[in-house]
Amino acid sequence: MPEQPGGGGWDETPKWLAPRPTPEDGEYWEGARRGELRIQRCTTCGMHQHYARMLCSHCGAQTLEWVTASGAGTVYSFTVVRQNGVPPFNERLPFVVACVDLDEPGARMIAAMPECPPEQARIGMRVSAAFRPATDEYGFVDFAPAG
Amino acid sequence: MQRRVCVVGVGLSDGPKTPDMSATMLEAQSFRRALDDAGCEKRDIDGLASAGYGGMHEVMLAEYLGLTPRWTESTSVGGSSFEFHTMHAYRAIQNGDVDTVAIVYGNNQLSASGRTLGTGGGGGRGGMAMPLPMAYEFPTGLTLVGAYAMAAQRHMHEYGTTPEQLASIAVQTREHATRNPRAMYRDPITVDDVLSSKLVADPLHKLDCCVISDGGCCLILTTEERARDMARTPVYVRGAAGGTTHHSINAMADMTRTAAATSGPKAFAEAGITPRDVDMFAMYDSFTYTVLVVLEDLGFAPKGEGGAFVTDNGGNLRLGGALPTNTDGGGLSCTHPGMRGLFLLCEATRQLRGEAGDSQVDGAEIAVAHGSGGWLSTQGTVVLGTEAA
Repeated sequence: MPEQPGGGGWDETPKWLAPRPTPEDGEYWEGARRGELRIQRCTTCGMHQHYARMLCSHCGAQTLEWVTASGAGTVYSFTVVRQNGVPPFNERLPFVVACVDLDEPGARMIAAMPECPPEQARIGMRVSAAFRPATDEYGFVDFAPAG
Repeated sequence: MQRRVCVVGVGLSDGPKTPDMSATMLEAQSFRRALDDAGCEKRDIDGLASAGYGGMHEVMLAEYLGLTPRWTESTSVGGSSFEFHTMHAYRAIQNGDVDTVAIVYGNNQLSASGRTLGTGGGGGRGGMAMPLPMAYEFPTGLTLVGAYAMAAQRHMHEYGTTPEQLASIAVQTREHATRNPRAMYRDPITVDDVLSSKLVADPLHKLDCCVISDGGCCLILTTEERARDMARTPVYVRGAAGGTTHHSINAMADMTRTAAATSGPKAFAEAGITPRDVDMFAMYDSFTYTVLVVLEDLGFAPKGEGGAFVTDNGGNLRLGGALPTNTDGGGLSCTHPGMRGLFLLCEATRQLRGEAGDSQVDGAEIAVAHGSGGWLSTQGTVVLGTEAA
């Protein structure tokens, strides 16, 4: 594990943050556990979405299929969280959280970038997904500078 | 013919720190003060609106206050809820569904929870159910302040907005607070003070963030005809509109543009005004960036030039500037008990009545109160005016 900007590790996830996978979104969480970024693609309009829904948030059609995203994306914006009173985040400060536009059109996600030093974070930087398995049922998707 | 609608009473509770009062006590105290201000009685109130505490709060509050309203309203869209309540009450009074509405909000946020709202990890802490989008965002460690910070960062990237320009909003707002004995923080500050305060989430510093206080507020609206029998000079509702673009920051397609870009023009058109006609602005300053982006969206400055607008002319948000803004000291320095939308309408009314004392905008005839709720998610614009306006 590369050295992280904050003090604490990202391996432990508190129970209150544990996702409760459902028939609707289980595929995303299970994918994250096994190292795949699973998002939905609409076969009617061709656009993608994250998180999983019954209908396409772009065109409204109910013609969604699961696809595996490339994991590549571009930082639309980011912040460096320097104050967060809640464990375990208070032990990880400071850390970068980014809003990432995936290369698949229409899909955007908020993700932690635990391996990105705060001073290196930039809007427009290319990033790639990094997976953090948590339990047998789910994992989390982080991003890291591409390269 | 639609009836004309007026604000006839405003009430502020004690504040900004009231450790011996519950949220409901703050609501009741501000309600009583608004009745006294209007010169009406509890029996005159046939509509009640409130928000912020989950289901049926306004019904509980009606019982607590001994009201049996024929019209209730509980639109709960975050801090801008009260601009939406005003819009809905305005329409309902216009159409004769109800005659006299009290909009009430109070919260003892500071005394009950301390200053954890923006950096406490959100509502999911302790196993509370997380709204769907938040199940994806909370595990990243993003805070409420962090979500606004991302939006500010994007604006800086696209338009070259600077931390100094954002800081200037806090400085000018504090200048207003120095004249308000009710304000939480009253010592003047400089741009350097803001920039040297602790970074909470880049690029927002502590002094870019609103305070957390206790406090309650009440607004009473009625028909022009009934207003004639009441104590105060009526302030007229001239136009109102709202809009929603997203819930969580993840779904904010363009972080440099809010629903104010549609709610503002609609409300201004209904009122028959342009941004140049506005004498005073009461803006939900949850963060300095919230003010900047909405100044642009409402048309006070072209998109991308909000930073220059704020600092031009020695500071356009000051008294004597092009748009005196948050003359009570705003959420940044005066009062922010979890949600601030109702306090904006109260300050705008005070200004149009000429009751703002040392912070009075000379000859104010048109004021705009604008609420922003959630994560820049919901925007509500209300145009108020004097009878002469």
